[in-house]
Amino acid sequence: MSRINKSIPFWRREQFTPFLLLMPAILILLLVVLLPLLFSLYTSFTGYRLIRPDSLYNWVGFRNYERIFTNANFWYAFGRTVLFLTIALNLEFLFGLGIALLINKITWGQRTLRTIMMFPMMFSPILVGYQFKFIFNDNIGILNNALQALGLSDGAIPWLVDKQLAMFSIIFAEVWMSTSIFAILLLAGLFAMPRDPLEAAKVDGCNPWQVFRHITLPFLMPFAFIAMTIRSLDVARAYDIVDVMTGGGPAGRTELLWTLIARVGYDNSRMGQANAMAYVSILLSIAFTYYFFRKLIAARRYMGGAD
Amino acid sequence: MKKTTLRILAAATALPLLMTGVSFAEDIDYGKFDGYTLRVKLIGGAQYEPLYAEIENWEKMTGAKVDVLSRKNHFELDREIKQDIAAGTLDWCVGSNHTSFAPQYGSIYIDLNGVIAPETLAEFQELALANSTVDGRLVQLPRHSDISNLYYKKSLYEDQANKDKFKEKHGYDLAPPETWVQFKDQAIFFANAPEFYGTQYVGKDEAITGRFYEMLVAEGGSLFDEDWNPTFNSEAGVRAVQWFKDLYDAKAVPAGVLNYLWDDTGLGFASGTVALNLDWAGWASFFNDPANSKVAGDIGLVRAPVGSGGKRSGWSGSHTFSITDTCDNKEAAASFVSFLTSHERQMIEARKGLLPTRGKVWDEAIAEFAAADNDFMVEVFETYSQSMAEDAFTPPLIAPWIEVSNELWPRLQAAILGEMTPQEALDQAAESAREVMEDAGYL
Repeated sequence: MSRINKSIPFWRREQFTPFLLLMPAILILLLVVLLPLLFSLYTSFTGYRLIRPDSLYNWVGFRNYERIFTNANFWYAFGRTVLFLTIALNLEFLFGLGIALLINKITWGQRTLRTIMMFPMMFSPILVGYQFKFIFNDNIGILNNALQALGLSDGAIPWLVDKQLAMFSIIFAEVWMSTSIFAILLLAGLFAMPRDPLEAAKVDGCNPWQVFRHITLPFLMPFAFIAMTIRSLDVARAYDIVDVMTGGGPAGRTELLWTLIARVGYDNSRMGQANAMAYVSILLSIAFTYYFFRKLIAARRYMGGAD
Repeated sequence: MKKTTLRILAAATALPLLMTGVSFAEDIDYGKFDGYTLRVKLIGGAQYEPLYAEIENWEKMTGAKVDVLSRKNHFELDREIKQDIAAGTLDWCVGSNHTSFAPQYGSIYIDLNGVIAPETLAEFQELALANSTVDGRLVQLPRHSDISNLYYKKSLYEDQANKDKFKEKHGYDLAPPETWVQFKDQAIFFANAPEFYGTQYVGKDEAITGRFYEMLVAEGGSLFDEDWNPTFNSEAGVRAVQWFKDLYDAKAVPAGVLNYLWDDTGLGFASGTVALNLDWAGWASFFNDPANSKVAGDIGLVRAPVGSGGKRSGWSGSHTFSITDTCDNKEAAASFVSFLTSHERQMIEARKGLLPTRGKVWDEAIAEFAAADNDFMVEVFETYSQSMAEDAFTPPLIAPWIEVSNELWPRLQAAILGEMTPQEALDQAAESAREVMEDAGYL
């Protein structure tokens, strides 16, 4: 219990010291994060059009939000983003886990492999988009040509047009680019793993599956949930790859939230409405982050590591 | 040996000097702006670049420097300009513009009447200047124009077996299509996917909206009535959408066509795997160059087909240059855009197949091609000259055009893919377009 000395000004009191030390960081955060957020929140209640700066003061109340709630295209894009996120994250987790477990077994050349594994992350998403746009091109693409040359297909498969295949193609590109994030974080988890429980389990007669299922996996889950939180925020913002590969089309078949928002905000210049869409879609990110954090805390509690 | 090398080197050095001399020999005085740096944003891309090589000549003549702030495709440039308007960073002077995009920029660009000398303006085609005018203000100076005509692979039409088979199937002689119905018949007839396609079309963005729009007009329909109510969900509109859908269903176009833009269709025709290609003249010299194209020497060209409304399709527009209202040296900017659209500069673009906006350049370009025995380019210029004079029409020059287009094209795609009927797709698009027009104050 600290003594309160009334002669000391409040900002010099001990319990205020942490706040005082954090003040520069808080101020900068307010300035660069909160202020733009508040501004864009304000514009979502206006008829702000990018090409008419004076429309910034055109207050329209909840009109933008009302339109969103009756706009089927927006909710389709919303649903598609949730689907995209769920499939991409699960695949990235599974592949990342597999790669991490395999690399962990290697005793020679591990560093080189770790570096090679990071290569896809080093490309700009736009380049990755162009690369896969070319691979999946129905006419001149490598994939169709390879399938035809091997006699596996005699027609041009419309990878970027077909309803299922188009989503598959952009998920494939996303997974190709970002699986290594999971792999690297899970590998870090494997490196940090104590050997004792593993050896104790072996002594107790556990088979490798039981060791993996009951010791390795629970230990890795906090790492997985951290990766999922980061990636869910990333994937929910997916734009570059999709824009380059399909532009959200055809007929909105691959339209995700951010390709739609960018079109409304920039091409149609309706920044007010785009910001309203962005605020509704942030709910998605908050929901996923909340879910993964709860899972993270549960996983750490299971391991006896957190309260 | 050494002497020869030296001689070649000397000749190579002298050539640019001689060429510069030719440029300096121009009568036009572009003024003196010593030490001034003109900031510009230009459209980029292979077909636009040859003109920019001329910029250094303007710099030499005027003493000014040109700082090219961006060189992007027009869709990206459009986004950048909108951001500049929003952020209040219009601190540049000259920007590339387009007749379809110009109406949305409001008053950021100045009226060039009075800034560009009337005698200079008089040398431009009247229609090109009229299309560059928004609300009575000449907000842009046209650089080159754009309209599409139909290229075809000649040998296919000369083949006797093709002629016989076609006649048997369709009951009329095989000849380059005169109507949109014949275009469809022949495209389906020639197609043999995935090795060979009858035709291809641009399948997204404003590109497919434009194609739909010109077919709609050719079929006797219109986008709006005179009070700006959307009217494209008419029978004519349905016929236009059905044309795209029939070709898609018959696999007469590549399966990925809904992802195609201009480069894809141009390169596709040049690859020799497509029979018919409706495209602009900018590709003409590329198509006929054996280094780039497998159809070189085997290309025919006819005017765009006629629709059931008795009209030819003729969606047209011009690439242009505009001067910002915030420009700190409008005189230098005016000198620069006059230079880039001058007779000599338009000749440079015309030689590549880009359609000039000055009447005299048309004649001179045709004479030059004829003198060089380049019959193909003579045919190209004569065909395009006729379609520019008789068929050309622009989209409505209104601010919400791009927004209306963004409501239309995803629905066109949905109809082509069979997700909804053409009528449903057009009805939905018309409803959304009505909302856009209401918001913009037209309804």
